[in-house]
Amino acid sequence: MMQKTKNEVGKMNRGKRMTKRKIRQNLILTGVNLFFIILSFAILVPILYALSVSLNAENSLLSTDFSFIPKHLTLQNYKAVFVEEPILIWFKNSMILAVITLFLSLGTGIPAAYVFSRKRFSGRKIILRLLILLYAFPSLLSMIALYKLLSPLGLINTKLGLIIVYTGTMAVFALWNMKGYFDTIPREIEEAAMIDGTSTVQLVLRIVLPLAKPTIVVTAMMVLIFVWNEYIFAINFMMGSDTYTLAAGLYSLQATEMSGSWPVFSAASIVVSLPILMVFFALQKYMTSGLTAGGVKG
Amino acid sequence: MKKQNELGKKKTKKTWIAYLWSAPSLLLILLIVIFPILYTGYISFTNMNVYHWTNYTWNGFDNYKDALLVLDNGFIAALMFTVLWTVVNMVLQLVIAYVLASLLNIKNLKLRNLYKTLLIFPWAMPGYVSILLWKTGMFNSQFGLLNQWLVKAGFEPVRWLAGDVIAFVCCTVVNLWLALPFMITIIDGALQSIDQSFYESAKLDGAGWFKSTYYITVPMIKAIITPAVVITAFTTFKQFDVIYLLTQQVGAKTGADLHTILTYAYEKAFITNNYGYSSAISILIFILLIGLSTLMNRQNKRAEVDE
Repeated sequence: MMQKTKNEVGKMNRGKRMTKRKIRQNLILTGVNLFFIILSFAILVPILYALSVSLNAENSLLSTDFSFIPKHLTLQNYKAVFVEEPILIWFKNSMILAVITLFLSLGTGIPAAYVFSRKRFSGRKIILRLLILLYAFPSLLSMIALYKLLSPLGLINTKLGLIIVYTGTMAVFALWNMKGYFDTIPREIEEAAMIDGTSTVQLVLRIVLPLAKPTIVVTAMMVLIFVWNEYIFAINFMMGSDTYTLAAGLYSLQATEMSGSWPVFSAASIVVSLPILMVFFALQKYMTSGLTAGGVKG
Repeated sequence: MKKQNELGKKKTKKTWIAYLWSAPSLLLILLIVIFPILYTGYISFTNMNVYHWTNYTWNGFDNYKDALLVLDNGFIAALMFTVLWTVVNMVLQLVIAYVLASLLNIKNLKLRNLYKTLLIFPWAMPGYVSILLWKTGMFNSQFGLLNQWLVKAGFEPVRWLAGDVIAFVCCTVVNLWLALPFMITIIDGALQSIDQSFYESAKLDGAGWFKSTYYITVPMIKAIITPAVVITAFTTFKQFDVIYLLTQQVGAKTGADLHTILTYAYEKAFITNNYGYSSAISILIFILLIGLSTLMNRQNKRAEVDE
């Protein structure tokens, strides 16, 4: 009763205050819009600046009349990235590492994630608990041990060595992330198929995999992005710029206070970021759900 | 009796098959992840360093004593700094993300989606590229944009990453820049899941902005955002890239002496080449992370694995 009377009173008042309120609301809206326009620009400044420097012909870095729109457009810096720096070799190295890591971690991770989500067997809980702990452990911390173990095998400064390191980290991630997603898929469909006498392998291939497509796509992207962005193992385990990955290469291209070319570096940064940006925005809608579904519990 | 026996057999077979399916993954993890951690534990009890790479000797708990009892070694200081860093960053992140997400949800904001896309941009960029762009593009003392602006406005240029305090501020700014898009997205999603009728009736009951925030919004989004906040807190605690890339790259140290536990472990391993000591630090961090995540799991029962 109380609610209803209040509602009615509210309605009456609303009519009187309509115009005043509308003006106030518009003022607030304009303010908020203005705020977001300025904020968006401020946030993009580091990227816009790099973009502008990379496209600017005159290296007027130290001049005082800098503007975000380059006065003399040029692709010279981009040409330098591709011609003078071995960026194509780095790209090739990154791709090889990424694709092999992807196949190893997903190929082994999908059946394991499925089993850990669907079956109940002895040792399951302990292994899952152990996996959370491993998930929390940054691989950076076992870098010395990995170096010490890989070096007598002759795997330092080889692609295989890095693949091994990356696959380990990503195997934990893939198993954990996909298991979390499998948990959210209802079992009824599989149970129905099971009654029809489908074998487990068929069940997984025909029913589970199509259902799990979103998590497989997101996990695959996360693996690719991880390898694409990993620099610290790459710079410590690889020697010589021919063996570098994109991340390690870009790291070596940096302009320091004293040396290096900031325009070429900024062009290289844009080139390296573009594929990741495209992938990210293409998969944006999956990013939060696909990431948190499994990661949440870590 | 017979039935039980059969059940037991069936269970054994089920276990067998489950391990068969997961064997490749578990073997990989065992060999590449677990074994190196155990080996790190072994190294932590030796004096392995650059002079004793192969002929190292067992030295018991010396490394652990050095880390925990000798304050001058800096581990405890790095740990304190990491806690401070995590707290400052998380508080700022939550407050700023909450304010921005609330503003994004104001009624009739037509360009909402455009703003969201623009605000999310830093998340989409590869993290290390962004950090390097900040380092050179913004903070560089010669051609960094900040100093260009300062000089133009008639001030003296500033060495942004040279002092501890100023470098801490710069690192925090970059970390916020990197982390806010995720937090805004999470809080924005949580805000949208609240039924608008709650606010309408609260308004009719005469509750102002503060009251409806305190009694409706915060309690309702708390449960939704907790997992993401916990993850972010762990990521912040384990932060390496921002501080390492901005202030202490090999051959390009900027003069600031900031250390999170991770950059500390890395420096002991690859700069001062004290492998035994660094491994002890790694194990200590591992134990710390185990402790923290157990604590979190206990606090938040829903986060448990087993259903």
